[in-house]
Amino acid sequence: MARMKFLSDAERCIECNGCVTACKNEHELPWGVNRRRVVTINDGVPGEKSISVSCMHCSDAPCMAVCPTNCFYKTEDGVVLHNKDACIGCGYCLFACPFGAPQFPSGPAAFGARGKMDKCTFCSGGPEENNSKEEFEKYGRNRISEGKLPACAEMCATKALLAGDAPVISDIFRDRALRRGKAGDAAWGWTTAYGKPEQAQERTQERAREQNREGQK
Amino acid sequence: MTTSNYASWLGRWLIAVCLMLAWSMPLRAADAPPAQKQAERQQSQPGNNAPMWAEVRQDKAHFTNNPANEAGVLIQTGGDSWRHLRNDVVTFYGGWLLLLVVAAIFGFYKIKGPLTNHDKLTGKLIQRFPRYERVVHWITAGSFLVLALTGLGILFGKHVLIPVIGHSLFGYLMVLGKNVHNFIGPIFVISMLAMIAVWARDNVWQNIDAQWIAKAGGLLSGEHVPSGRFNFGEKTWFWIGVTILGLTVAVSGLVLDFPNFGQTRADMQLANLVHAVAAIVMLVLSFGHIYMGTIGVHGAYKSMETGYVDETWAREHHEEWFNDVKAGKSGHPQG
Repeated sequence: MARMKFLSDAERCIECNGCVTACKNEHELPWGVNRRRVVTINDGVPGEKSISVSCMHCSDAPCMAVCPTNCFYKTEDGVVLHNKDACIGCGYCLFACPFGAPQFPSGPAAFGARGKMDKCTFCSGGPEENNSKEEFEKYGRNRISEGKLPACAEMCATKALLAGDAPVISDIFRDRALRRGKAGDAAWGWTTAYGKPEQAQERTQERAREQNREGQK
Repeated sequence: MTTSNYASWLGRWLIAVCLMLAWSMPLRAADAPPAQKQAERQQSQPGNNAPMWAEVRQDKAHFTNNPANEAGVLIQTGGDSWRHLRNDVVTFYGGWLLLLVVAAIFGFYKIKGPLTNHDKLTGKLIQRFPRYERVVHWITAGSFLVLALTGLGILFGKHVLIPVIGHSLFGYLMVLGKNVHNFIGPIFVISMLAMIAVWARDNVWQNIDAQWIAKAGGLLSGEHVPSGRFNFGEKTWFWIGVTILGLTVAVSGLVLDFPNFGQTRADMQLANLVHAVAAIVMLVLSFGHIYMGTIGVHGAYKSMETGYVDETWAREHHEEWFNDVKAGKSGHPQG
């Protein structure tokens, strides 16, 4: 059986938020609920990187571990889904989740009345019958049952966001990493990880000078 | 390698490690800001985003178009600690503590039996709790029991109730239970504050409490120890159970119940742990109070139900208070 994964390629994401919009549109999500978001680190500085994030469908999912009603379950594909009928809207999944994936339609409301939790389903619906009206209203479209991949990744213009079977996704990313940038020295490998030989030499000399200074003190 | 060889080898290594640490200290202090480090790394080693990933693990907010609270935090690290403390520590030790205390009280009852009156009841009644005190007590007690049951359901229900009543029924019950907990909570807070206001004066420690402490309240010997309106056991429950723990669960509970003031996930994790620990300790102490107020002491329940006690009961359990009332004083501690 497949093991489904998302992968967001920080070198390719251009922060267009197309994935966020595609997801919101595909599942007709209510106001305030965004199952996916794009975060830009060092925004406006050369070397800034953007990453699209949603539920990562963890193998050892913290949300499942803390849910007071055990409303979460895992599909054969390794996708973490939940049963909204058993959800009590306590917000514990949000406190536990590293990625901020769980969303609440009423937001942080008084008396903890958040409403039923909503999150990324890897476009594979919920416990209701596949492609039924009830399933769509509670969990959004079930694209996996139609043989399609998640809408966010399908929509991604630069193919920064990949979704699918883990070995396939890994192969695509590994291939990219090896070929990225210029060929030869600049490609991923020793020089990318540790710098070019002349840089390494410079650094060694600098360290030696510094050590001398330290020694003279 | 001989022992002395080994020792000198270890010594050389220790010196080397110390030198390395000393050498790296001034460099670390002169670290560039993360954004600049990332920009420089992109020049020297394109494709190496190590400075950026180091930043991601610092729980900081970055830029995002999503307006939700903390949406700019790509990864929050506190959730994992909270999950382990709640699931592995609070649930496990809290659960066993509750069971052990119930078993201990049951064992005490089986071995020692209830505290009874030594002399015959006179049939003459004396007022112990006026109506407003009983109202405050029962609103606090009733809301406390509802909060305790629903709270226990939230923490232990999936381990205890799901195997018995099944997943769906438990889910529906807890939807109700969670809302009951969230709406009854503020009622408990108000009545608990009223209770502190009403009984704080009568629970101030007095010299006579030393006798109660010295004889451990007569719990083991069965003898009646003189005390004021409240004995030292009741005072301990009042100050530690109702006041300190009550205020702790109230403040942490309100933080959890009204998350609409911009609380972060870290705030909620801390509030949840404080709430759970304080509530479990309070529940453990309340077991003692409920035992003494019902089956543990003959006549105790009637006093809070009707507000009146028999004169024999008053003399044997609260002699000083009984003498004061008989002498026409208020019954509250004098001076």
